[in-house]
Amino acid sequence: MASVSIRNVRKSYGTVEIIKGVSIDIQDGEFVILVGPSGCGKSTLLRMIAGLEEISGGTVAIDDRVVNDVPPKDRDIAMVFQNYALYPHMTIADNMSFALRLKNTAKSEITAKVERAAGILGLGPLLGRFPRQLSGGQRQRVAMGRAIVRDPKVFLFDEPLSNLDAKLRVQMRTEIKEMHQRLKTTTVYVTHDQIEAMTMADKIVVMHDGIIEQIGAPLDLYDNPANMFVAGFIGSPAMNFIPGSIGGDGFTTEGGDRLPLGGRVPAASDGRPAVYGVRPEHFRLADDGMAAEVVVVEPTGSETQMVLRPLGAKAGREDRKRELTWVLRERTGAKPGEVVRIAPDPALAHLFNPDTGLRL
Amino acid sequence: MSILTSSDRVVGAASVGRTKRLRPSYWPFVVPALIVVIGVIVFPWVFTLWMSAMEWRIGEEQRFVGLQNYARLFTDVRFLEAMLHTLVYTALSVLAPLVLGTAAALAFNTKLPARGLLRGIFVMPMMATPVAIALVWTMMFHPQLGVLNYLLSLVGIGPLQWVYHPSTVILSLVLVETWQWTPLVMLIVLGGLAALPTEPYESAQIDGATAWQRFRYLTLPMIKPFLMVAVIIRSIDALKSFDILYTITQGGPGTASETINLYLYSVAFTYYDIGYGSAIAVVFFVLIIMLSLILLYLRQRSAWNTGDGQ
Repeated sequence: MASVSIRNVRKSYGTVEIIKGVSIDIQDGEFVILVGPSGCGKSTLLRMIAGLEEISGGTVAIDDRVVNDVPPKDRDIAMVFQNYALYPHMTIADNMSFALRLKNTAKSEITAKVERAAGILGLGPLLGRFPRQLSGGQRQRVAMGRAIVRDPKVFLFDEPLSNLDAKLRVQMRTEIKEMHQRLKTTTVYVTHDQIEAMTMADKIVVMHDGIIEQIGAPLDLYDNPANMFVAGFIGSPAMNFIPGSIGGDGFTTEGGDRLPLGGRVPAASDGRPAVYGVRPEHFRLADDGMAAEVVVVEPTGSETQMVLRPLGAKAGREDRKRELTWVLRERTGAKPGEVVRIAPDPALAHLFNPDTGLRL
Repeated sequence: MSILTSSDRVVGAASVGRTKRLRPSYWPFVVPALIVVIGVIVFPWVFTLWMSAMEWRIGEEQRFVGLQNYARLFTDVRFLEAMLHTLVYTALSVLAPLVLGTAAALAFNTKLPARGLLRGIFVMPMMATPVAIALVWTMMFHPQLGVLNYLLSLVGIGPLQWVYHPSTVILSLVLVETWQWTPLVMLIVLGGLAALPTEPYESAQIDGATAWQRFRYLTLPMIKPFLMVAVIIRSIDALKSFDILYTITQGGPGTASETINLYLYSVAFTYYDIGYGSAIAVVFFVLIIMLSLILLYLRQRSAWNTGDGQ
């Protein structure tokens, strides 16, 4: 186990800067997830920790040792790739023992380590097979097994569940979390799926365009997003953003509806334009709430998701942006075309600066 | 005769009776190909088999002799020697291009400057006419006037007899074959290298494999199916090689470079012993088929990316 310290790390390809000075401290045994949309630089950062990409600037240190110029094999890390990266011509046992065989480890030790990893991941009966004879989930488990046998200081996962179907992804998510709880190895995990990030991480790093938007515990990011990007990225369905302005002790939408602020009005902000952020599950039915037409009803069984169009808003294509999402556990029986009155919970709402995106 | 429509083709097992009734209508489509196959492939072989069982000299009366021509092969020293020459020539003509072609493919698979141009130049020998190549190499091999001995003299090595001496003739001919066909192996292996997945290499880097270990444990096993294709093509090609050998040495000096092909040609068209020549052709054909089957089996065994072969 080890700590990982990333200090002002930069990465450029020619004149294009992909990562623009990123700093993260990862504690010993921590499960950190780098999350962000495609192209934000999260996989590149992981590959720099692994030593598969050169670092253009800054330092990466594992256990206080700067590893910028240390080859991957000497960093004592193990990596699980999105496409598994198994050796296709080797059996599962050979795949898992390859690193140990290269180190001329004793046969008895190799067998013991492979059997232990196979036991943890339920791969025992598959050891004699070839990767092509396994399902996607089994291959991913082999990739993890290969990492486990090396007993590394740090596990690196590069979108390991992206190639699996939805059901298997949920199952593997649990298995990876269980594995971490059992081994307690420092883990850096990259994903674009915020659900994966929320459910697995001790700490989430939200990245966007090569910078870090926010670092924090999953629920901390959910409850206190630093800006509109994090607020919109974390949580599914995404947070509703309603443009308008602050006035008196409340918020007036562009459509003219009044939304409560619960006394949390920023100082000297009367008349100031702002964006009102409210999560879909933080609306409730209210007789004095804003009127909205039901556009779509999507029942999932445990809850119902509705797309609403505030009646204050004008009809037309542009207004799709103003549509709101409401998630409720109750079964209201509302149908498309009907009008409901809803109000946000002011204690759980956020205000954002429309120019900078920062939370007010 | 009924016309087969697309709806007929998609009928399932339930309409087997109907499919049976339609079957005669397939025949006219098969007949042209059947005539060509029988006329061009089957008939010459049946006729060769028949000739091999005859004592048949041009200008003399033909006589059925059964397996006598085949029995003669076992006591024919020249045939046995030709067989040995063929095996040595084939083995070397497969091995040398295989090693050099693989090395060239590995080089061309890296980011060389002017890679496209160099690759174009490299494959040129493969495009040249064998007889033209043979004539050029005959001049180059000349002990007094040839450029090869001149080049050797520059590094202080005395002149060689090349194709003019029994001990060096086969190696010299293999040199020509290697020069011409290394590009083919290079192209096949290069195709294989381009098709290899990249992720295992990154994984191996993390696992601690050196460049040599990555080649030995990843690249080599993964390009094995492609190497086997190259071996099959080269083996068949080298076994039936005729043009270069005939143009450069005609099997000489003496019979030092006489392969089965050349011997067969002499027997049939110099000594006009068509029956015996046919027997040699049949044995040679069986040898090629057996070798091809063995190589195809090995090719299947080496496949890691398809089916269950391993």
